[in-house]
This record gives sequence, C-alpha cells and structure tokens, in this order.
Amino acid sequence: MKVTYNWIKEFVPITANAEEVAKKLTNAGMEVEELMYQNEHLHDVVVGKILKIEKHPAADKLVVCQVDIGGKIVQILTAATNVFEGAVIPVSLPGADLVNGVKIQPTKMRGIESYGMFCSGEELGIDENYFEGAGVNGILILPQNMKIGDPIDKALLLDDVVFDINITPNRADCMSVIGIAREVSAIFGIEMKKVNLSYNIDVYDKDTVRNYVDVEVKTDNCLRYMMGAIKDLKIERSPLWMRARLNAVGIKPINTIVDITNYVLIEMGQPLHAFDQSLIDGQKIVVRQGQAGEKIEALNHNSYELDQSIMVIANEKEPMVIAGVIGGTNSCINDNTKVCALESAIFDLKSIRITSRKIGVRTDSSARYEKGVNVANAEIGLNRALHLVSKIGCGKVVRGIIDKSLVKNEYREITVSLKLINDILGVKIPEKDAINILNNLSIETKLICDKLSLKIPPYREDLENDYDIAEEIIRIYGYDIYDNINYNLFENSNVTEGKHHPRLLLERKFRNALVERGFYENVSYSLVSSNSVEKLLLNDERCNLIKIANPITEDISCMRTSMANSLFNTINYNNSVGNKNYSIFECGRTYLAEELPLKKLPKEKNILAMAICEENFNFYNIKGIIENLLRKTSVNYKIERSKETYLHPGISANILCDGEIIGCFGKIHPQVAKNYDIPAFVYYGEIDTGFLSNLEPKKYIARQISKYPIVERDLALIVDENVLAEELLNSIKSSCGTLFYDANLFDIYRSDSLGLNKKSMAFNIKLSNLNKTLTDDEVNKTIQKIIKTLNYKYGANLR
Amino acid sequence: MIIDELKKIKDDAVGELEKVENLKDINEIKVRVFGKSGLLTALSKGIKELPIDQRPLVGAKINDVRIFLQEKISEKEFFLEKQELENKLANEKIDITEPGKDVIVGALHPINDVIDKLTDICVSMGFSVVEGPEIESDYYNFEAMNIPKNHPSRDMQDTFFITDEILLRSQTSAVQAREMEKRKPPFKIVCPGKTYRNDSDATHSPIFNQLEGLVVDENVSMADLKSMLTILMKRLFGEDTAIRFRPSFFPFTEPSIEVDVSCPNCHGKGCSTCKGTGMLELLGAGIVNPKVLEMSGINSKKYKGFAFGFGLDRTAMILDSINNIKNLYRNDIRFLSQFK
Repeated sequence: MKVTYNWIKEFVPITANAEEVAKKLTNAGMEVEELMYQNEHLHDVVVGKILKIEKHPAADKLVVCQVDIGGKIVQILTAATNVFEGAVIPVSLPGADLVNGVKIQPTKMRGIESYGMFCSGEELGIDENYFEGAGVNGILILPQNMKIGDPIDKALLLDDVVFDINITPNRADCMSVIGIAREVSAIFGIEMKKVNLSYNIDVYDKDTVRNYVDVEVKTDNCLRYMMGAIKDLKIERSPLWMRARLNAVGIKPINTIVDITNYVLIEMGQPLHAFDQSLIDGQKIVVRQGQAGEKIEALNHNSYELDQSIMVIANEKEPMVIAGVIGGTNSCINDNTKVCALESAIFDLKSIRITSRKIGVRTDSSARYEKGVNVANAEIGLNRALHLVSKIGCGKVVRGIIDKSLVKNEYREITVSLKLINDILGVKIPEKDAINILNNLSIETKLICDKLSLKIPPYREDLENDYDIAEEIIRIYGYDIYDNINYNLFENSNVTEGKHHPRLLLERKFRNALVERGFYENVSYSLVSSNSVEKLLLNDERCNLIKIANPITEDISCMRTSMANSLFNTINYNNSVGNKNYSIFECGRTYLAEELPLKKLPKEKNILAMAICEENFNFYNIKGIIENLLRKTSVNYKIERSKETYLHPGISANILCDGEIIGCFGKIHPQVAKNYDIPAFVYYGEIDTGFLSNLEPKKYIARQISKYPIVERDLALIVDENVLAEELLNSIKSSCGTLFYDANLFDIYRSDSLGLNKKSMAFNIKLSNLNKTLTDDEVNKTIQKIIKTLNYKYGANLR
Repeated sequence: MIIDELKKIKDDAVGELEKVENLKDINEIKVRVFGKSGLLTALSKGIKELPIDQRPLVGAKINDVRIFLQEKISEKEFFLEKQELENKLANEKIDITEPGKDVIVGALHPINDVIDKLTDICVSMGFSVVEGPEIESDYYNFEAMNIPKNHPSRDMQDTFFITDEILLRSQTSAVQAREMEKRKPPFKIVCPGKTYRNDSDATHSPIFNQLEGLVVDENVSMADLKSMLTILMKRLFGEDTAIRFRPSFFPFTEPSIEVDVSCPNCHGKGCSTCKGTGMLELLGAGIVNPKVLEMSGINSKKYKGFAFGFGLDRTAMILDSINNIKNLYRNDIRFLSQFK
C-alpha cells in the first residue's frame, strides 16, 4: 500500500519528518518497506526562461541560449529543436544527478561554455499523463506562469515522499491514506483534522438523482449500495495536485472523473465506480448474481463468462460491471459523458475474493473489498468524491443520494480487563498510558472498577476482546519494554516433562551409525515428477501418485511413493558433477493414497533409505550395514528374496517381520540404473523406521563370560553350491552345545578342482567353557562332532 | 710377574675400550680378555704355579680386574647401544606435513543437525517433541488456526492444494490444533517438520522446514515467551545472543510479534549476513488467540498459551554460513562433506 507524506499531513499536522514517521509506523506494526523520495533526482534542477537564442558559430546542430534561472543569467547550449526565445523550461545545473544517471557539470562544446542542460520530461522521470508536454521528444516546455528560479520539484509538485507499507490482513482499514493517518495520529498523539465531505448543490435546481437512475439490490452479497449523480460534466485533465498524488502512488491519471474515483480509493479506501448515465439501459441499476450464459466485455479488453457465483452490476438487460472487481466497456465514462452515475458500494468480502480468483483479475478495488471495507465507509467515500467534484468544478452534483443498505454498522461496545491485559503482556502498563493510547486510537474508554468499557469505531472490526486490546496497547506503547525483561524460565508455569519423539530418537541412532560408517545424510524434495513411477518400474499401489492441483513445475508435482527415486536422482546429480565413491541416506516420508482422488488423509510412511555408489561394494556389505541397524532394535526379522521392481531380482532381499515387509535391500535393477542414468553397481536399501519405533525398545540380557580362554579352530568344508551358509552356521552352533561361543563364515572359495557345483566354505569357530580351561581332547571331540553332523546333514567334506 | 701382566691387561683393555666405537669391537675385546683362551683365563691358569700362600691374593686381584673390566665394558656397551639407537631413530625421521590418512566418516545434514540441537534444548526445557502429517486437512492447517475459508489472511501463504479440503501443510502450526485436541493443559510441545509453499526463487524453496512451539498453561505471558526464546536462542547461537520483539500479525496469535535475533556473525555490529542491521528476522510468535484455544476445546478463560515458529533452513544457513538455500536440497557431496 502506497501513501505519501504530504497526503498524511493533510489529515494529521505532524512536524516529524518522513523518516521518523516511517520508523514509528514500523514499530507500531505498519511495516514501511520502502521510503521513496520523489525528488531524489531533481535537486539542482530549476525553472528557467530562455531569453535569447543564437547559433553556435562552430556547430550546426547546437544553439547558444541565455537563460534566466531566477535572478541570474547563465549560458546553456542545446541541440533540442523545440526551444524558443521566451520558453519556460526545466534547467539542470551543475551538481544535478538526473534519474537516467546523467550528472551535470559545466562543459565546453566546440569552444563555447555551457552551464547546464535543459531537461525533457523523461529526464525528470515524468510522462505525458502526468504533465502536458512531458511526453514530447524534446525539451519539456513549461507553462508561462511558472515562477522562474523555483526548484523544479516544487514547481511540478514532485516534492513528496512515498511510503510503501505492508498492511497485515487484519488491518483492512489501513489500506487508505486516512487509515494510515489515523495510525500516525495515535502514535504521535496528535489529533486528526476533520475530513472535508461537503459539496455544493444548486439550491434552485430541483433536479434529483431519481431522475437519472434507480437502484435495485437483488443479492445478499451486496451489503450497501449508494449512488449519486453528477451532471454538466467536464471530462478533462484533472488538476496537477490530484495528478501528483495519484502519480506518486503509482496510478496513471486519466481524466477528472476517473481520477476522482481513484483518488478516493487511495485516500478513503473506498472503491467507486463511475457509469456514463446515458449508457445505463432503462436507467436502472440491478445488483444481482450473474447467470450462466451471460458474458461481459471488461475494461482490460478481456471477455468473461459469468455464472451464479459472480455478482454483477447490471442494467435491465445486461451486466455492466463485475461487482467490486472490474468494469465493463458498455457503460464506462468516455469523453462524451454528460451525466455520471457514481457508485459507492460495500460487497461481501468472500464473494469478491471468490470472483477475483475465479476470473483471475485483481484490481485495486477487489484488493480492498477482499480484505473487507466497512459499511460506513461507502458514505464517506461517496461524499468525499462529490466534495472533490465541487472543489475541482468538473460538474454539478445532483441533489440526493440513493442508499440501499442491508447492514448497519455502528460503534460497538466491549468490556476488557486491565488486569488480564497486563497478565497477557507480562508487564504492567500504567493505567493512564493504556487509556491514553486507546483514546488516541479513537476508542472511547470508561473505567468501571478494574474493567474498561470501550467504544470501538466501526472501521476497527478486528478489535473484539482483551487480547486484541492488549496488542493495541503494547504496539503503540512500544515492544522495546521487553528488551530488558528476563524472567526465570517458566517461573509462573507448571513443570512439564520433556519427551523426545520415539521415532526421531531411533532415527537419530541410525543416522549417527551411518554417518560413522561414511554415509552423507540427504534432505531431498518429497515432491517428484510423475515419471518416477515408470523409472522405478513400479507396478503396485505406489503407482497412484498424489498430485498437486497447483504445482509450480511438473518435476515437483507429485508426492513421492518411494524414497528410491529421490536417492537415485541424487546419485545422478552427484555423478554429473564428478563426485565418485560415496554413500548417502535419507530419513524421509512416502505418501500412499488409499484411493484417488483423495477422500481422506493418505498414509505417510517414515522410511530410512540408503544408497551406495561404490564400485567394490557388494550385497553382503549392504546386508551387514542393514543388519547392524536392525540390531539396535528389538525386531525379530527374516530375510527373503525380494520382488522389488527397482532391485536386481537375484541380488536383493526383503526384511520381514511377522509376515510384513519392513524393508528391502540389494543391487539396483540394471534397467532402473539405465532409467536414472546411474551406474549398475549402485546398491540401495530401505527400512521402515515408523514400524521399528513402534516396537518395544531393545532389552539387553548380558550372558555369562568365562574367565578361561577361548579356543579357536578354523574349518574349511566342501559342500554343494545350494547349501546355505545360514544352515551350516546353525548346525555348527547346535553341534557345539554348551561349548559354543561364536562362529563366523570368513571365506568362500570356488574352483573346478573342488568338483562340479561345489564350493568351499571356511568357518572360524570359537569354543569356551564357563568352568574350566578346555583340553585339546575336548576341542577335538567337538570339532569331530561338527564335521560328522555337517557331513550327515549336508554332505560336507573336509577340504 | 703375574701382577705386572695383570696390570698390563687391565691398562690395555681400558685404553682400547676408550677408543672403541661400536658394539662389534667391544665383543672382540670381551673374547680376548674373558674368552676361553682369553688373557685373564690364561693368567688364572698360572695361579697354580704360584706358592700356595700367594695364590689367594693373586686370585683375588685377578678377580678384581675381571669385575672392574666387566663394569667398564657394560658401561661402554650401554653408551654405544644408546648412541646406536639414537642414530637409528634419527634416520627414521619422516615428513610430518604429509596429509593424514582420512578416516571414512560421513556427515549429518545441516537442517537435521539443527533439528537435533533444537529438540534437545526444548526437551531440556520441558517440551515434548511431536509430529503431524504433511498432507493435511484444510481444517487443521487453516480453519482451526483462525484462518477461515476465503479469509484475506489466507493470502499470507501460497498453498499447494491436492483437493479443496486436502493440502500440503503450509505451516507446522497445523500440528497445534491436533495436539491441543489430544492433550490436557498444562503442556509444552515442539514440532519440527517439512512445510510446503507455492513459492520458489533465490531465497525461497517450495519445501522447507519449520519448528513450531506451543505452550498452554494457566499463567503464561509475552514476558515468559521473551525469557524462553532468549534461552533457546542463546543455546543455539551463543551466550551473547539477544532478541527483540516487533509487532506483526498472525491469525492464530494475539498479540503477534516477530522476533529479531542479534546476528551471531557480527554480534550486532552489522555484516553481510544481517545486511548491516545487526539483527536477523528469525521467528514469528505470540500469545495464542483465545479463539484458537476454544476451537480445540481448551477453556480460554482458564488457560493461556504462547506459540512460536521459525524456519529451520534459514537457521541452518545462519549457523553454517550457507549462502544459497538450493544447496540444502541438492545433496551435492561436495556441499555435504563440509559438515563433518
């Protein structure tokens, strides 16, 4: 929201400068995002008059001018062709620093001195809309009545300061100059001036607004509809002071009536719409909802199809305006308009918001209606516009105003407790200060015991209870009161027990373990492209991607159903930038829909996924890593062959717990590696941390350790290729009986010399007795027993 | 006679020992003097030729010389051994500036590292860590947070929608109402997690992480909020950290504030991290709007609350001097390996 310093000053007689006003507004919650001095590039530019023009003796295209710059005559050279003796022009003098970057210095051109430069409108930062002649290709010729020697910013009314203020959604009342002025008045404690709402009506003219237009409101979305009429219109350029204000806040001046509506919009926050009365078919305004099949040609030259949800201002036959949003071409003010019907209305904010979204049009009007314009404001806005008509003299105000009002909006009374307010704030604001602040905010106060009875002005619809009032008091009193406050932690509160989230805690264990093993933790987008389904060869419920209705781009348009996509993409990226031999993991969510389109919230699964991009890595490496993680939990799991589509069917496994797959790992499927353009030696694994964190925490039961030494034996056995390591290890364990301490497979050897489909497996067996030192004899007997058993059960032979 | 020879053997040996420079030469001396056919052995054999009364005396003298020389030799041996070791060590000197062999170790992600730190601090202050769904209902994300449908405050956030009623949560505040419905005051919770907004540019990522905090109790105030956040920020950024309140607006808090934190990089002097202001805009906070308490079934006449929320991406960026938000989600090993 843009307002100007001088405009605010019209309503509050402040003496503080713009900078100070901006700072205090920000401290009170009206954040001034930018402060723009209109005359930043207009210093050392004055109004001058050309007294004499002579040809440059040495240059055909230059002329030498003697210029009066107010009590002083200087010589300036120019190549401009539109200057003449007696012309009043803007002169930039040495020191000037124009908006286009030109810095003025005294110079010499072909031997003749020049003490400055004449300026075009463009060089002053203005255009034809702002000032007549500013758009011509040449020097800006100023009116003869301008005072020679005046600084140009004063002469052209460009000496204002623009505030760009971020208005929070609760303060729709501040989307206007008057709203900001009210804030300034409260902050500085300076009383507002009364807004001039008076206008002239010819007492002898009996003509009334009813002679021009009738209004019928047929929808509840229109809370108030007011209309006045202006006749004998003079559609022309509005006065410079009005154009200056509009220009400052970024609105293009057009003509008297349009400028007045925009002026009131900015100043009072009241959107107005001006109709050419002769173009209102049947001289009747009907405020109603649109109908399917209706169309309107809008002022932005687009055509919009209407329906029941869109409110329109229509005549008896057809819509003329999309209410509160944009006008139509069929009834707008034009150069030939003689009578103007001026609308000042209040519409339901939701209705305007829905329409604005639906047709994709946002205007200064809709922006205000969407946030809510107070019902009382329609009258203020209309009267202010008629006042401006009178002031400028661009037409005659017709007697009478039509006012169709559904809702009354008056002062509300609420009661608040100063004690509660101090309790909320945690600091004691002196009663006198609190009351003063409220009074300065135009809130009438009455102290009854420790309660404050408040009369809230209609435009402060945001103030309802003690909490709202506490905020009003503290933001004006100043939040810096807290700078030096430091209580003991929760000294006035109950003690509560702090608890970590069980899954996050488990994940933290896993994450730290993986980091120690060289893994880098990833955080990736949970939004993916829809092509992730095909790339991962998915064929189950994970194909049903949950799609964003309003995505930014396709590549982040769906919620992921597998972590693999994220990790494979990361490997692709890292390889493309030359990173090699690395391991990554991520704790993230997958999002699984039960049905699409979503009827209820989907399942969000928490998964720890890892991927290893290292050439000499194998299945047993990743198995070891995963088993190490699982060992940190109490899970009882089985390993089975996996059918996961993106893993190699022969080199992958599922982790099962009670028949449920809680993870998988293995080598990437070569086709998937191709799809992601990543190496086929990549390994991937994932486990469901949500499932694991729901299990009982792991309990340790320490076993007795013998004080006698361990005896080790290595055993190499030749077995058929289809004999599984797990079977042999289990058998070894049971053969050892109570002497068993540990057994490991440490080597597998394959060679033709062993026989067809044979392999040699080497085990390291550790034996121990709790009560005594083992004798060689006992050890040998045990080993013999193992060999015998393995031979009997699996046909194993000593190598 | 023997005594003279004995003296000569002793003097010769001492003289030789002084000159000896390595252990090998010492060994030669040892053999010559003490060996089976050594000088002292030969001399001892001559004892039996002496008259009986002289034998003990001469024998004792020979023995004295033997002991004397043995000690001398040991001394010299010790000296030479030490010297030899020193020479050997001197020759084994290596270049200690060669790089150390890297221990293979990875790194946590800066965002999750911040989550770990913050949740630890909060748990120590009596907060419980909770989570909520990222795909959330309009009710919990907006309506229960006092942001009705078609309300202007919806414009504060560009939201990703899935259906009219289901969306990607735009704020971890969505968890507030879920927890208030579940819990009985007094309680303190924090919720870290991913949030989503339809916004992507140099300083915004469509996916980012927030930490939400909520305290509901009979007696909490803005001053308690100040004290609590001061401690949180001190633990995170260092003891000399200060915070400051500024007015703001959030539909679910009243009063609402933004909290500036003194720049941990320049300690308030002004630098590029804080764009010369000395302060960083980091948190939004306030007293829980009583309407929000009531909507979630908490008696606002009895209980008050305060809430705070902040962006973890930005916090991580400040803590680790990360200048580009996109780096946080690209997972480039060159970036991640800096945080070992």
